Amino acid sequence: MRMFNYIVLCLIVAIAVAITVMYVPGVAETIETRLLAFLATNAS
Amino acid sequence: MIRALLQLLGILILIPAVALGTLRFQNRDADGPSILFPGGELVSGELHNGPEPDWSFTRDIQTVELQLNEPLSSRLVWILEAEGRIFIASGYMGSFLGRLWKHWAIQADRGNGLAVVRIDGIRYQRRLVRITQGPILDSVAATMNEKYNAGTSRQDIEAGNTWIFELAPRQG
Repeated sequence: MRMFNYIVLCLIVAIAVAITVMYVPGVAETIETRLLAFLATNAS
Repeated sequence: MIRALLQLLGILILIPAVALGTLRFQNRDADGPSILFPGGELVSGELHNGPEPDWSFTRDIQTVELQLNEPLSSRLVWILEAEGRIFIASGYMGSFLGRLWKHWAIQADRGNGLAVVRIDGIRYQRRLVRITQGPILDSVAATMNEKYNAGTSRQDIEAGNTWIFELAPRQG
């Protein structure tokens, strides 16, 4: 993929992820819960 | 081929990075911290106005919500009760990464120290006073080791590796 197209794709993905996390109910809680479970299991 | 793989890797790193950044941004003005991210001003909960409480009840509490007034942000911290007084700790302060991670402790030390702590839904207005030496640190370290298995000592605190703040009353 050409660099310009790749940067555009990254921007679109970043905006889509941010909007999903902010406005789709439950997504933020799910991410945080799973991250916490991961840290509780693997962090020392 | 390698270029395509690197681009894919970039996207795979970008997605969690943006998600975590968004979560942190989203939580910055919340009424208190989440488990992972700092929050904003502590708004809800009764504001304690009576005499100094018996803090022994905090022995059974693992974390409390601490809000600094400058800057206005909150996080979860350990709570330590020793000799009838309450303290909070900030570890890893001897390392660059620790000081970066626990920047709130530096802000509390350099600022006016005014803070609000919410324990069991009740807000207490306090003043953070850093304790750098003295026999009280023996009791604080013992409490920290017993309650959190922290492996710290008075010498470790006096060396600046762990910072201890007393949550002192505002008056006096």
